[in-house]
Amino acid sequence: MGYGCCSFLHKHITTSVYFTAFWELQLRSRSLLTFHGSASMAVRALTRGLLGFRYSRAATVASPCGGHHYVTAPSVKPPQPQADDVTEKILNQPLEKPDFFRVAELFSLKDLFDARVHLGHKKGCRHRLMEPYLYGCRLDHDIIDLDQTMEHLQLALNFTAHIAYRGGIILFVSRRRQFGHLVETTAKDCGEYAHTRYWQGGLLTNANIQYGPGVRLPDLIIFLSTLNNVFQQHVGIRDAAKMNIPTVGVVDSNCNPSLVTYPVPGNDDTPAAVELYCRLFKMTINRAKDRRKQMELLHGLSAPTSQTS
Amino acid sequence: MAGSRLERFGTVFTRVRDLIRSGVIKPKEKPLWYDVYKTFPPKRAPLHVKPVTSPFAKKQGIVPEIFYSEDKIRTGFYEQYGRGLRALDLSKSNFVSTCQRFVDKYRELKSHGMLDNSSLFEETAKALLKEGIILRRRGAPPNKSESRDPVLDLKLIDMLAEQQSAGTDTTKTTEDKNS
Repeated sequence: MGYGCCSFLHKHITTSVYFTAFWELQLRSRSLLTFHGSASMAVRALTRGLLGFRYSRAATVASPCGGHHYVTAPSVKPPQPQADDVTEKILNQPLEKPDFFRVAELFSLKDLFDARVHLGHKKGCRHRLMEPYLYGCRLDHDIIDLDQTMEHLQLALNFTAHIAYRGGIILFVSRRRQFGHLVETTAKDCGEYAHTRYWQGGLLTNANIQYGPGVRLPDLIIFLSTLNNVFQQHVGIRDAAKMNIPTVGVVDSNCNPSLVTYPVPGNDDTPAAVELYCRLFKMTINRAKDRRKQMELLHGLSAPTSQTS
Repeated sequence: MAGSRLERFGTVFTRVRDLIRSGVIKPKEKPLWYDVYKTFPPKRAPLHVKPVTSPFAKKQGIVPEIFYSEDKIRTGFYEQYGRGLRALDLSKSNFVSTCQRFVDKYRELKSHGMLDNSSLFEETAKALLKEGIILRRRGAPPNKSESRDPVLDLKLIDMLAEQQSAGTDTTKTTEDKNS
C-alpha cells in the first residue's frame, strides 16, 4: 500500500518502505488500469527508466478527462476514446447525488458529544472569527455548536471522499506531538500521506527547487490541528491557499478559520476527539477508493492484470 | 502549471475559476478538486479576513452565556455544602453527582407543591439523608461521633516524656547490674 511519511531528517531512500512524500509522488503511477498507489519495485524502476525522473505536466500524454494526467509510457497506447468517455462518466456520476458516499451515516451528534468535540477553550483564548460557530459560554468555557459542526463535518467528509475517488493526493498535517503517531498511522492505513514534523518554509511554495522539477503537489490538505506549537496559525494553511490547494481543517475556538476551505469547528486537544476525526477520515477515504474500484470494474475498465505504464 | 499566489484576494476557487476563464489554465489542466468544489461549495467562502488592529473596532461578539434554571439550586447547594463528599466521575456520561441528586430531589419536592422556598432546602437535605447521602455543611466542625483511632490522639511530647522516664529507669538498673 503506498504511503509516505514525510520527514526532512530522513532524506535517503532506503529499501524499507519509508519514502519522503514527494519522492513517492514522482514515482507514483496513476494510470487508468492500476488504481492502487503502490507499484512493485520493478515497475517503479521501469517507470523511472522510461521517464528519466522528469515527470512534468507538459510531457505526459494528456488524456482530456477531468484534468487527470496519466503517466503513460510512449510505447503503450491504451484504447483512448472509449476509455475517456467511460472515465468521464465515472468521474461525473458521483457529483449528481448530494451524498454519494453516504458519509452522513458515519457519525452522529451523540458520537461527537461523547468524544467531547463540543468543548472549546476558555473565553480569553477565543478567536473573534470563531464566534459564529460557538453555541455559548458556560462559566467562561466556550461550547462549540455541534449542529453546525455536523453540517461542516458532513461537507468536509464529502469533499474528501470525492477527492479520494478521483485519485487525488491527500496530505494529513498536524503539529501536535501528542497525536503525531496517530496521524501518521491514519495516513498509512488509507494509503495517503502525512506530515507531522517541522514544516520547512518552501515545502509547497518552493517545491520544484526543494524536491526537483515537476513535483506533484497534494490535491487536498487535511489539518487535524490548525495551530503550530507556539499557538500561531500553521504555515501550511497560508501556503495551501497560495498554491490553490483546498484545505479541510479542524478549528478549535482559538483558531482562525478564515483561510480554511472546509473548516470543521471542534475540539482538537482531546485524544478522544482526534481519534474520532482520524477514524472518520480514514473510513471516508477507504470507502471512496473502494467505490472507485467498484465503478471501474462495473464499467469494465480495469483489467485484472495491471499493465505497466 | 500556472497559478495565483494571492491568498488575500478572493478564494482558492475564484482565483482558479478566473484563471480558467481567462485561458491561463487550459480546461484539460484544471485541478482535480475544481468540479467537486463547484458542486459542493463550503458554507462560507474561505476569504481572508484582515485582522483588526485598532482597539476601537472591538465589538463584543454575541456569544450567549449558558445558564440553566437549576443553577440557582446548584449555587445554593455548593454554598452550603462545599464541594460535596463524592468526587465527580466525568468519564461516564450517565453519572449522577451528589449535587445533581440534590437538584432532582429539590425539584421533585417543589413539584409536590406544599413547602415554600426557605424550608425546601432543609427538606431536600433531610430527604437525601433518608436515602443515605450524608451532606456535611461547609465550615462546620467535623462530626465528633466518628470514631477516631485513639493512637492519633497521642501527643508526641507525652510519648517522649514516657520514653525518657522509662530510659532513666533502665539505665539505673543496668548501672546496678554492671557495678
